[in-house]
Amino acid sequence: MLPIHRQRPISGLTFWAGALALAGTLTGCAEAVPQDVIEAVESIDRDLMQLRAAEIAPNDYSSFAHQWVTLRTRVEAEADLIRWPWEPNDLELALRHLRDEGSRTVAKLAEQQATLRRAAEHRLAHVEERAKLITAHVSAIDSRLVLGAKPVETDLLMKQARAFYGQGRYEQSLEASDRAARNLAVQATLLNRELGRYASRDRIIQWQQMAQDTVEWSRTHHAPAIVVSKADRTLTLYKNGRQVLSYPVRLGFNGIREKRYQGDGATPEGRYRITGKRGQGQTQYYRALVLDYPNQEDRRRFVHERKTGHIPALRGIGGQIEIHGVENELMAQTLGCVMLDNPHMAHLFERVDKGTPVTIVGALHEQNSVALALAHLAVRGDET
Amino acid sequence: MRIHSALLPVLCTLALLAGCAQPPTDQINAAEQAVKEAQQSGAATYVANDYAKIEGLLGALKKEVADQDAKFALLRDYGKAEQLAASAKAEAERVKTEAVKKMEEAKDGALQAHRVAQEAVKSTLELVAKAPTGKDRAALESIKTDAEALKASLNDVQMMIDKADYLAAQTKAKAIHEKSQAVSHEIEAALAKIGKGKPAAAKRK
Repeated sequence: MLPIHRQRPISGLTFWAGALALAGTLTGCAEAVPQDVIEAVESIDRDLMQLRAAEIAPNDYSSFAHQWVTLRTRVEAEADLIRWPWEPNDLELALRHLRDEGSRTVAKLAEQQATLRRAAEHRLAHVEERAKLITAHVSAIDSRLVLGAKPVETDLLMKQARAFYGQGRYEQSLEASDRAARNLAVQATLLNRELGRYASRDRIIQWQQMAQDTVEWSRTHHAPAIVVSKADRTLTLYKNGRQVLSYPVRLGFNGIREKRYQGDGATPEGRYRITGKRGQGQTQYYRALVLDYPNQEDRRRFVHERKTGHIPALRGIGGQIEIHGVENELMAQTLGCVMLDNPHMAHLFERVDKGTPVTIVGALHEQNSVALALAHLAVRGDET
Repeated sequence: MRIHSALLPVLCTLALLAGCAQPPTDQINAAEQAVKEAQQSGAATYVANDYAKIEGLLGALKKEVADQDAKFALLRDYGKAEQLAASAKAEAERVKTEAVKKMEEAKDGALQAHRVAQEAVKSTLELVAKAPTGKDRAALESIKTDAEALKASLNDVQMMIDKADYLAAQTKAKAIHEKSQAVSHEIEAALAKIGKGKPAAAKRK
């Protein structure tokens, strides 16, 4: 016979003993805890584990686990006990309470996870879209090198965010996306710092003045003069102060920046003159017009920047800046010069002489491609 | 009366012995130490659910001891506490073993991913080195910058491994590998294009 949970005083009368035994037989004796309640709590525990409750809501899971372990210990200890059906069963009540509490925790965590998942998805999509936009603008204005390692760092963070998202680690995904977003903001800042002069009204007025002076020189001297606009990627030839031709050009691999030292791939800005003409056989680039870079102003700026530590001590100022043709269309890029297609170069070569002024400016109007790209990135940045 | 007098010291001794039931301090300390060691072995990170449960077991043990302590001395029984202490210790040791195993797996995964990423970046840098120093510099300079950035990122992975943050290290290493392969494909395409022309002599610019 199974032991009963608690001994109850009963009368010694056979009648009452028989009555009690009959009642027990008729109503049936209760288990310590119904199995379905235990299975329900076990199922909740599995759900919580699947939701990684111990990681994402450690306090909630800890509270559940403490109660569950305590109650399970009691369940095991009282497994062999039976109760009278009318006896209060605090263990069962505690388990039912834990089941209900656990169910609420599962529902709450599932909702939290769903919210986190949506937030991570939205954030990642937003960052990826912003990265695409910056990449497109950077590519359009040939300024990828301005950003150094930042694009790769951002790309890695986005890949990490995508991987964490796939693993269901939404908090880590959000964190990686946030870091990528901050990295993109740094990219926008870098672009503004390096290329902000293209959006500077004062600087553009200065460049416009330089171009006007060159055109005026052409008019007063009845001679050719060249103006190159880096933002527009155009070379314009003037004769007697009138525009004769305008050709598209390609710049150095880092041409959008202001030239500072040898090997930086930037195309210089300033007032230059043609100091030499190299025909076929004298240059590897079809035909070339040699400029007097570095001029006095370039040297003065170089010395100042080196003194202030903005240029590495071992760097030289560079030279041999030319307007030239294309050596090989498949390798159509220059190191810091101004490059034209060969037919255009042939036309230009015939129309200029040694001493012809060449003015290279950043931009000639406020709505230039670089300024527009920076403005667009700033507006879209504000939207974030 | 003589019998009662003779039995009295025996009964008193038995009562005193029963009243002197002490909590199983050594077993409790051993269980706490085992849980602490499980925690130090990374259980809270690698087997978080199991770790929460052994903490729960420790909580149940403390409650049981407190319940017995609260009883009249003669009625105290620490037998259940002893069982709980033994269970907590055994479970903590199992969890510790499991955590160490999981951490080793994560570490191996991170180290393997790091090696793969290193190889990929090395290949990319070798491709960059093959590129001519002549003309088509815009693409190649960009790629070179990207490859150098990937090389620098490998240090971040090493730092994560050093800090035992293996899951993050593995994710980052895989991202580097993926990006490195993309850069390599880009440079191979650029090299194929440039390979059709002659590398130009270096110029001062």
